[in-house]
Formats: sequence, structure tokens, C-alpha cells
Amino acid sequence: MKTLTFAVLAAVTFSVGLVAQTAQTAADTLIVGGAVKTPLTLTAADLAKMPRTTVSVTEDGTDVHYGGVLLADILKRAGAPNGAALRGKALASYLLCEAKDGYRVVFALAEFDPDFTDNPIIVADTRDGKPLFDYQGPFRIMAPRDKKAARGIRMLTKLTVVQLPD
Amino acid sequence: MSRSGAFGVAVSALLLATVVAGRARADGWDFQLPHGFPSPRIPADNPLTSAKVELGRYLFYDTRLSANETQACATCHQQARAFTDGRARAVGSTGQVHPRGSMSLVNVAFASALAWANPNLHRLEDQALIPMFGVDPIELGMTAPGDALTARLEAVPIYARLFADAFPADPTPVTVEHVRQSLASFERTIISARSPYDRYHFEREDDAISADAKRGEVLFFSQPLSCFRCHSGFNFSGAVETEGGDPRSPEFHNTGLYNLSTALSYPPPNTGTYEVTHDPSDVGKFKVPTLRNIAVTAPYMHDGSIETLDAVLDHYAAGGRTISSGPYAGVGHDNPNKSPIVHGFVLTPSQRADLIAFLETLTDRALLTDERLSNPWKKK
Repeated sequence: MKTLTFAVLAAVTFSVGLVAQTAQTAADTLIVGGAVKTPLTLTAADLAKMPRTTVSVTEDGTDVHYGGVLLADILKRAGAPNGAALRGKALASYLLCEAKDGYRVVFALAEFDPDFTDNPIIVADTRDGKPLFDYQGPFRIMAPRDKKAARGIRMLTKLTVVQLPD
Repeated sequence: MSRSGAFGVAVSALLLATVVAGRARADGWDFQLPHGFPSPRIPADNPLTSAKVELGRYLFYDTRLSANETQACATCHQQARAFTDGRARAVGSTGQVHPRGSMSLVNVAFASALAWANPNLHRLEDQALIPMFGVDPIELGMTAPGDALTARLEAVPIYARLFADAFPADPTPVTVEHVRQSLASFERTIISARSPYDRYHFEREDDAISADAKRGEVLFFSQPLSCFRCHSGFNFSGAVETEGGDPRSPEFHNTGLYNLSTALSYPPPNTGTYEVTHDPSDVGKFKVPTLRNIAVTAPYMHDGSIETLDAVLDHYAAGGRTISSGPYAGVGHDNPNKSPIVHGFVLTPSQRADLIAFLETLTDRALLTDERLSNPWKKK
């Protein structure tokens, strides 16, 4: 359990054009693509059918429970390198997470692969059992072991596996 | 108490006997917080009791706390204005105009720093001394150490009972120390948690705020605007201290409000935390105030130099204010100390209306009329 704040500290490239998109194109799908065998377009209904995980965090001293699907399970379904296959050159790849408002963060694949770690990073779609607020969702990353919440990207729309070139 | 604040917060493990369900304290005080709303930390050396809160309320509204008996704390911190005074800059009991505006006391119990520009003032008990005894500027104008004040209070019959109830172990309870503790206790009960935003966010009443306001909320929390990066968390005020929360350092920012061509880019004496630290990089850095009840606390900024919320949005949209003529002329956008978060943005008219609709959901009408926070002398 750790404190999450709304403050996001990572630097982000500012784009005036993004303002017009914000709050007006409610992307209700999550696109999973890049260096994967099976690109996906997931809806909340799709996530509801997958194995569910709840992570508990403390926000301003109050316990909050986010429900969703392990990032590892989503990437496995898309055919991204995982488990025994996550070795060698595959380890020189990362996951780019992009939000509706232009915010972006990355994770190395090994940061959430169960063969490497039991870190329960999830794509969350509920907060205390209810859909996320508009400014959070419909999907967001929850990385409960990060000391700062900056990679808990809100309004998540796209996951892209990027393999670094040889 | 104006312009300075003290959010003293030392955890009191035993005294914070908070009952989770109703959040009623051991002595019966109930913050009446919605489910999921954080609880304030109460310092161990000044446990919150109903008797102290009640005494503090009488003192807060009592003009006997000013030397010439013309002003009370409530003069500059008016309940109907979310405990501000509607002035650009506060005016003390002797008529002296202060450099900065009265800060809202709403949710002051959560604040990790109390003053506009003093990073070292953390305890409400300490802050209370400044308006009572401060001489630059003169606020209430009492003379330290306060013998005249205690003598004056001892002559008022109702205070005999109120002080005795609040400090039953002390045979001579009318002291400046107890005045400070009681005022701080009352101030900690000024908690805004019942706005439409709170009903939407904590009670999950989906219809508590409009669709316009929900769109405004998304804008507020978007990267292009980045309002949330300073006005963060449940209090929309940056760092807070909560019961069970991690300690956080207070934040002060230069928003590009001025950029004078003189050695200091902000007009003295309002040079920000530089006034305390004397670090040139601190010129123009002021506390991030809460946005709760912001629609009723105009004018805005530390010196009240912006009159409307619309004009505040103009300032941030421009990434700093440009003053084209006069003694304060300068391009705030280019202030060397300006926070990189204040980078400017573009809003369509409908987006601007949505954002203001969201800010208006932070107005807590119940707080503005709550009998528990109102003037007790009016009933006598």
C-alpha cells in the first residue's frame, strides 16, 4: 500500500491540439499493438471476462481498491514475449502506454512478467467496485509498488510493445 | 488569522481515537466526513475536544481579541465567503492595509504550510500569535505577551465556564496558550467535504455534478492544462497532511504573475518565499491555495490582483500575466523563476465554461451556513 497522488511529475510534451481532444473523444477501447503476435482492441466487457485482480492503495490516507486485469495477462493474450520467451533480445523491449490527453509512460516487459516479479501492475477499470471517473478512465494503469503515482497513467487508450532494433 | 497559516500536524496515535464508521472522536466530536474522505491529523499536544472547539468558536468571533475591539478573526475570515473577506488585501484593526489577501481557512487542518509565503509556519497554534500580536503588519493589534487580553477575557462571565470546560485540569485556564489551542481547534473543524464534487466523488452520486462539470474535470486533470499538478489531491491544494497519509513537503510556485525589470521580479514586499529564505530562486513563489469554494473567494492570487475566475484562466492560459504599462509592467511568462508547469494552453469558449462549471462544483454551501461554524455571540 502506498500513497498515490494526482500529481504527475514526469515531463510531458505539451501540445495545444490535445486540448481539443480531451473530454470530447471518449475512447472506450484499449488498443494493444506493436511487436505482438495478435493485436487487440479491448473493451470493458472484454476485460470483465478476463481473470480479475484487485490492488489496494492509499490515497491521501484513505484505502482505495482498484479492480482490473494484470498487464501481464493482457500482453500474454496479445502474444507479447512473456515467461520463458522473455529473454535475450526480447528483454530489450518495452511497453509504451499512451493516454487520451497525450500523457505517455513506459514499462520494461520484465517489470510485470510473473517469471520476473510478482508486481501486480494492472489495467484498472473500477475504483471501489464502480467504473472509473471520466478523468481517470475508462482504463488506467495501477502500479501499486511505484513510490510515486506518475506511471499510473489515466485515460489509457493504447499499449504498444516496442522492440529495440538490433 | 490572515495570511499566515499553520497547519500543525503531529500524529497523535492515542488521541486520534477515530471511529471509522462515523468518524466520531472519543470525546464526541464528529467531523461528519463522507465515506472515503481523509481525516485530518490532530497534534498530540492539542487533542481535539468539543469544549475546546466551542471555546475557540467564541474567541474566533470575539472583537475583544483586537486591541481597539473592532475586529475579530472572523472579520477577515467570513464564513459566507469560505472564511475569506472579499478584499484584494486584508485590512487590520488600525486600518493598515496588508501586503496579501486573507487566506481561506477551509480545510486548514490538512494544510502542510499555513502562510502564502512562509515555508516554516506549520502549526495553527503558532500561527494564531501572528494576527493577535504581530506589529508588521498590525492585524488585531494586541500587545504581547497578552496580559491585557487575558484580563479582558476573564471579565466576561461566559468565558469562565468555556475555559473551565475546555481545560478542566487547569485551575487558571484563561491563558494565551489556551486561546491559541482553542482557536486552532476550532479552525480544524472548518472542513469542507459536502460540495457537489464531494457527493460525486466520495458518495458516487453520478448526478451530483453536471455533464459540463464532468467535462471540466477531465480538462482540469489533463496534461495540456495540468491544473492538477499543483492543485492536487482531494483538497486541490498540493501537499496535505492526513491521518494515515505520508508526510509531504509544502509546495510554493512562481506562476509568472509578474516580471518586473528590477532586481526582484515581484513587487516588494510580496517577493514570495524569498522573503524568508533569501534565495533568489524563491522570488515569486507562493503557496498553492485550495480550490475548494474558489467561486466564492474572489479576488484571487496572493495579492488579490485578479478579480474573476475567468481572468485567472486567462493568466494560466497565457502561461503568465503580461502587464503592459505602469510600475508593474512586465511579461510574467518570461519570469526566470516561473514553474514549468505553467506552460500555457488554449481553451475553446465551451471548454472554458466547462472548466468553470467544474470549479463551481467545489462550492460547499453547507459549510458556508453551518451553524457549528457560525457566530455564537449573535444568539446571545
